[in-house]
Amino acid sequence: MMFKDKRVIVTGGTRGLGKAMALSFAREGAWVAVSYASDEKSASETEAELKKLATRSLLLKADVSSRSEIEKMVESVLDKWGYLDILVNNAGITRDKMLMFLDEGDWDRVMEVNLKGTYLCSKAVIKSMIARRFGRIISITSPSALTGRAGQTNYSASKGGIISFTKSLSREIARLGITVNAVCPGVISTPMTENLDDETRNDLLNMIPMGKFGEPEDVTGAILFLASERARYITGQVLAVDGGLT
Amino acid sequence: MKEIVNNSEELCKYLKKMIIDTLKLEEITAEEIKDDAPLFKEGLGLDSIDALELVVAIENIFNVIIEDEDVGKRAFASVNTLARFIQEEYNQGK
Repeated sequence: MMFKDKRVIVTGGTRGLGKAMALSFAREGAWVAVSYASDEKSASETEAELKKLATRSLLLKADVSSRSEIEKMVESVLDKWGYLDILVNNAGITRDKMLMFLDEGDWDRVMEVNLKGTYLCSKAVIKSMIARRFGRIISITSPSALTGRAGQTNYSASKGGIISFTKSLSREIARLGITVNAVCPGVISTPMTENLDDETRNDLLNMIPMGKFGEPEDVTGAILFLASERARYITGQVLAVDGGLT
Repeated sequence: MKEIVNNSEELCKYLKKMIIDTLKLEEITAEEIKDDAPLFKEGLGLDSIDALELVVAIENIFNVIIEDEDVGKRAFASVNTLARFIQEEYNQGK
């Protein structure tokens, strides 16, 4: 088991790709804590699945844009588990609108959750990692950060900021045995992509050199790799898992 | 820990050992670190990354939190300034 007894937090880990990440770590022997903001139904379903799969698991309700909630969340994990090995900054939202119609509230909220959330969660965990001279911080970015996308000035700015944040933080703590990287999932098969109309589906497929959507395991494979010992000499990098999209 | 903190000489000895152990310094002994010698740049030649480790160590050992970079810079000027800083903060907190 690649991650036997490693302590992992996945923010936004109760649905979608975040849930897939959490379950993948659990299958590899990790102790997995997942946070969620508000979807209680998904949270309790994921909690039940984790309890069957994971050596140990924790479900924590926390808004990643709130410093007090994140500090409380991390403190709770440290109190119960002693230390943390891996953080996956997965929690993120979209509020897509063309700039002309994008109000300040939609700009601020996306920046708070996606970028500030990544800063707050990373800051909350690094002391524990520094004390043990070991850690993995993996943040989720987007193709939108690399190429831009109409209707996503806020989202792509937040995800682009995550890339810059990753590169800077990696330089701060590289010597301390902590790697900081980003994973950039492309278009991944999920219930959302299954409901796309044919025209949108075909437009997207035409943009992808491999001509197909990715699977959740493609993304979780990349995350597990970056979290593993095999990636110990990789830091400050962005790994796009997108079939050649970017 | 209270006895060590309130005895300046003992605290300085403790801090020198803590610095060597935390940063895994192999080329210097605790006795070779002078109480008033600069810890950063010249003197011991520590850098900002070393400072991160020392901040974490001080928090874990003494429960003294350094949240402000400027406060940290002043505290870490030398072993003596660090000892005085820890004594003040530790006794305020207890």
